[in-house]
Amino acid sequence: MRPPLLRSSDALIAGVCAGLAAHLGMSLRAARIGMVVLSLLGGAGVVLYGWLWLLVPTAEERRRGVATPAGLRLGAPALAAPETRPARSLRTPGGHEVLIGVGLLVVAAALVAQQLGVNVQWGWLLPVGVVALGAVLAWSQLDEARRARLMDHAGATRAEGLARLAAGLVLVMVGVLILVSGSLSWEFTWPALLAAAAVLGGVALVLAPWGLKFWKDLEAERAARVRETQRAEIAAHLHDSVLQTLALIQNRAASEQDVIRLARAQERELRRWLYVDAAERTGNLADRIKAVAAEVEEAYGHPVDVVSVGDTPITPRQDALVQATREAVVNAAKHAGGAISVYLEAGTAVSQVFVRDRGSGFDLDTVPEDRLGIRESVINRMQRHGGTARIRSSDSGTEVHLTMPEEEAGTNHD
Amino acid sequence: MTEPITVVVVDDHAIFRSGVKADLDGRVQVVGEAATVEEAIAVIRKHQPQVVLLDVHLPGGRGGGGAEVIAGCADVRQSTRFLALSVSDSAEDVVTVIRAGARGYVTKTISGADISDAVLRVASGDAVFSPRLAGFVLDAFGTAAVAAADSELDRLSARELEVMRLIARGYSYKEVAKELFISIKTVETHVSAVLRKLQLSSRHELTRWAAERRLL
Repeated sequence: MRPPLLRSSDALIAGVCAGLAAHLGMSLRAARIGMVVLSLLGGAGVVLYGWLWLLVPTAEERRRGVATPAGLRLGAPALAAPETRPARSLRTPGGHEVLIGVGLLVVAAALVAQQLGVNVQWGWLLPVGVVALGAVLAWSQLDEARRARLMDHAGATRAEGLARLAAGLVLVMVGVLILVSGSLSWEFTWPALLAAAAVLGGVALVLAPWGLKFWKDLEAERAARVRETQRAEIAAHLHDSVLQTLALIQNRAASEQDVIRLARAQERELRRWLYVDAAERTGNLADRIKAVAAEVEEAYGHPVDVVSVGDTPITPRQDALVQATREAVVNAAKHAGGAISVYLEAGTAVSQVFVRDRGSGFDLDTVPEDRLGIRESVINRMQRHGGTARIRSSDSGTEVHLTMPEEEAGTNHD
Repeated sequence: MTEPITVVVVDDHAIFRSGVKADLDGRVQVVGEAATVEEAIAVIRKHQPQVVLLDVHLPGGRGGGGAEVIAGCADVRQSTRFLALSVSDSAEDVVTVIRAGARGYVTKTISGADISDAVLRVASGDAVFSPRLAGFVLDAFGTAAVAAADSELDRLSARELEVMRLIARGYSYKEVAKELFISIKTVETHVSAVLRKLQLSSRHELTRWAAERRLL
């Protein structure tokens, strides 16, 4: 294996020749003579020397792990020593050195050619160089994925696609060059420009359907991605809620009460998710009553159906109404069981709640005085806050009717 | 009891259809089933049942669901009545099928006996209101007595309001009748009148709910 190309410390100027000699396996003298001869040939040796001086690290720099300019690897991959440093590609900061190096090479080659008597047309070379440089710069701005996609889209991964692309690029470059080089006078440039515009217009027309299709594909893809995201979100939600509940229901299939409770709780949760926008959850009276009903249903396993009409913000009075409703529903769940209906009618002047069960009923007068539930938590609480509670009970069920007027000026309800 | 009432069950869930069939009692006979809008229209035309149990959300057609089925069966509407059946909580879903011509609305958690009762009631030309539908009506028409400036169709009479309130509170028709000291027949008349208003009123809330479903 060849020794890596490094500038030697045994140096007349910068150790380039010594490094070259060691690398190429020739004598130091031969390398130096070769360099001098090249220098006499229109200065090519000087350029080469300068280039190598710039780009080739010294042995010292190598040891310290100074990054080798990328040009070394790109220009002469065999010179690199990949086992000692991670391979890097064009996109690494070395890219600029590559550009500089290539530019210098081109300039040097042109100089050599001129020295050798070839009539170098600078007028041509300059635009070519500029266009090439621009292309390389643009190319190096793209990251790997975009480059691959661009290649793919342009069909450059297939032979005929590559040929087409190359031909197109050459044509464009030739056109630009002819315009820029000034080999045509301005008299001819205007018709040429017009012709070019016409051609471009024609091409645009031809490509328009393709472009449109591309755009539509893009739109469709975007829409599909949005749908996919939504679907994933729904799937995640169903998994977290419904599937888990179904699993629980299978486990507890023996207990009817548990199954009903789980099913109801899941239904409520799913309904809330499906039909109520997060933005609509207001925390107002209707929401609070529904939450209370859900809580009692959860605790006692009896379905509590809430129908609400209207809504109103929570005030201390409405809060008392919610608490009283809760007690009434708990009472119904405890003593009557079965389905419980809650109806809320919230208006600007008065809010009413009806809690109805279909139990065997009870007589309020026979309820012991010390039983806190209905008397204290419902009737007295409502009265303390300026509302009323009426209880009607018969053998076909009990209905608690709570009425809470809106705050009136001057009423001291606490 | 004479001939059983013929019923077609329209729902896109086979499990639910078989559940309903098992729940319905001897007074009702299921003569056909359908799962999509097109199927439903074809089956209803073929069998001309007395009652169609109709899910609000159905695949197929132009995406109009149950309301589209009702609209598509306009030519057999003289003999066939529709009862909407839904798990949906949203007002626009329910109001849309009602305004398309359904004679009532019940939730899918309804018990077997109740659903048979509802089918019979619809078959005899009455309206079936669940507490929730009554709640929607009260929401749409308002709970206060409305000024007489409104068109007759756009407001509920005091008696109709009372009936709706009681239904929303969970009362059955029989209980409503007892509570208001009127006959069940009178309750049914009031409910049918409300249904008609619900279907024909141009109240802003109703048209908005219907418009949100792009139908009617």
